[in-house]
Amino acid sequence: MKPLRKAKQSEAGEAMQILIADDDPVSGRMLEKNLNKWGYKTLLADNGQEAWQALQKPGLRLALLDWMMPKITGLELCQRIRKISKPNYTYVILLTAKDELQDIIRGLEAGADDYMTKPVNFLELHARLQTGRRIIGLEDHLLKTQKRLYVLSTRDNLTSLWNRATILRFLDEELEQGARQKSPTGAIMLDVDLFKKVNDTHGHLAGDGVLRAIAACLTENIRLYDKIGRYGGDEILIILPNCSLKNLAKIAERLRSACAKNKINVYGKRLSATLSLGCVSSETMDKPSVDRMILACDRALYQAKQQGRNCVALSDPLADYRKGTTHGKKAK
Amino acid sequence: MEKKPNEEILPINRAEALDRIGGDPGFLKELLEIYFQEYIVRIKELRGAVQGQKFQKILELGHTLKGSSANLSLPGLRQAATDIEMAGREKDIEKAKDSFSRLEREFERLKRHLAQFPD
Repeated sequence: MKPLRKAKQSEAGEAMQILIADDDPVSGRMLEKNLNKWGYKTLLADNGQEAWQALQKPGLRLALLDWMMPKITGLELCQRIRKISKPNYTYVILLTAKDELQDIIRGLEAGADDYMTKPVNFLELHARLQTGRRIIGLEDHLLKTQKRLYVLSTRDNLTSLWNRATILRFLDEELEQGARQKSPTGAIMLDVDLFKKVNDTHGHLAGDGVLRAIAACLTENIRLYDKIGRYGGDEILIILPNCSLKNLAKIAERLRSACAKNKINVYGKRLSATLSLGCVSSETMDKPSVDRMILACDRALYQAKQQGRNCVALSDPLADYRKGTTHGKKAK
Repeated sequence: MEKKPNEEILPINRAEALDRIGGDPGFLKELLEIYFQEYIVRIKELRGAVQGQKFQKILELGHTLKGSSANLSLPGLRQAATDIEMAGREKDIEKAKDSFSRLEREFERLKRHLAQFPD
C-alpha cells in the first residue's frame, strides 16, 4: 500500500482535515488544490482500503468519497463508517458520475450526508463544505455541553472530587466487581478534625481552602485506581479496589500522615489540619453492600474520634460479632 | 460499426477546463501531465482486460477514464471511455474492442492538438 500523501497545514494553523478518496488522480489533485486554497488540510487515498484506514482516525471529521473505487467502494465506506464507534461524527460527501435518483437515494441511505455529481462544480463544493462544517460545529458545541454537564453532575464543585452520588455508585460497582473476581473492596471514610473550629476561627472561605488542600493531598497519595469523593460536609469517602484490611490500614496511615504534615496556605494564613479515618474491607463482611460498608466505616470513624482523633480505626464486623461488640479497633 | 473520431469537435475544450479550475493555465498543464501518466498505466490494463474479456475490469477502467476525461473537458476521450464502461456493463466484447480503438485514436488526436497548441 502506498503511504497517504502528507497532509498540508493551512496558514490558519488549526485547519480542518478532509479525506479525499478518489482513484482518479486528476480529480484527486483538483480537489486537493481547491481544498488547500480554501484553508483545509487534506489527506489523499487512491483506493477504498486506504480510505478506510484514514477514516478510523478520530480527528478526521470530513470526507469526500468517490463512489466507484477499487477494493472498497465509497458506498460501502459510508455503510462501514456509520457502524463503527468514533468519538466524533464524520461528515461524508459522496462524489460520483451517477446521477440517477435511485443512486442518490442509495448513497444517502448508505450513510452519506451529501451527494455531488462529477465533474465537481467547485463553487458548489465550497458551499457544501460550509454546510458540513456547520454540522460539525454544532456537534462540537453539543459534545462540549455534554462534557460540562457530566462534570457538573458527577463532580463536587468545591473540591473537584467525585460527588456523593457518584462515589456511592462507584462503591456499588466495585463491590459487584470484587464479588465476581473474589477480591476485597476497601473503603475509608474520613473527616477533618475539629473542622468547625477552622470555620469559626478563620471563616468559611478558609475552611473551603482547607478542604480543597486536603482533597488535593489525598488525591496525590491514593493509588491510581482508587476513587475519592466528597460524601458531605468535611467527610470524604475513598474506594479502594482489591484491598485487604491489612493493606487498607497501611494506605490509611499513609494518607493521615501526609495530610498532617501538609501546611495549608489560605488567605495569607498558614494552617494545618489532621484527619480521623475509619476503614472497612468487604472481606470482613458476610454480605457486603453499600449501606453496610458505609455503616461500618462510620462506626470506625467514630471510634477514631473516640481514640483521640488524628488516627486510623479499622472496622472488623466479623471479629466484633464474635466478640459480641460493634466497636472498631485502632490500627497499629 | 466503428465510429470515426469527430474531427469537428476539438479534443479539449480548454475554456471549459480552465473555467473549472479557476483559470490557471499552469495548473491545467499539471493536470494534463497527470492525465497522460495515468492514461499510459490504464490503457495497458485496459488492453489486457479486453484481451482477457474481463468485463468487470473493463467497466471499472472505463469509468475511471471517463471521470478524468470529463474533469479535463476532453469530449472525445470521455465519450470513448463512457462506451467502454457500457461495454463492460453489457459484457459486449465487440463494443469494448471498438471503443478501445476509438479511445486510442482520440488520445493520439489530443496529443497532436496539444503539440500544435501547447497553451
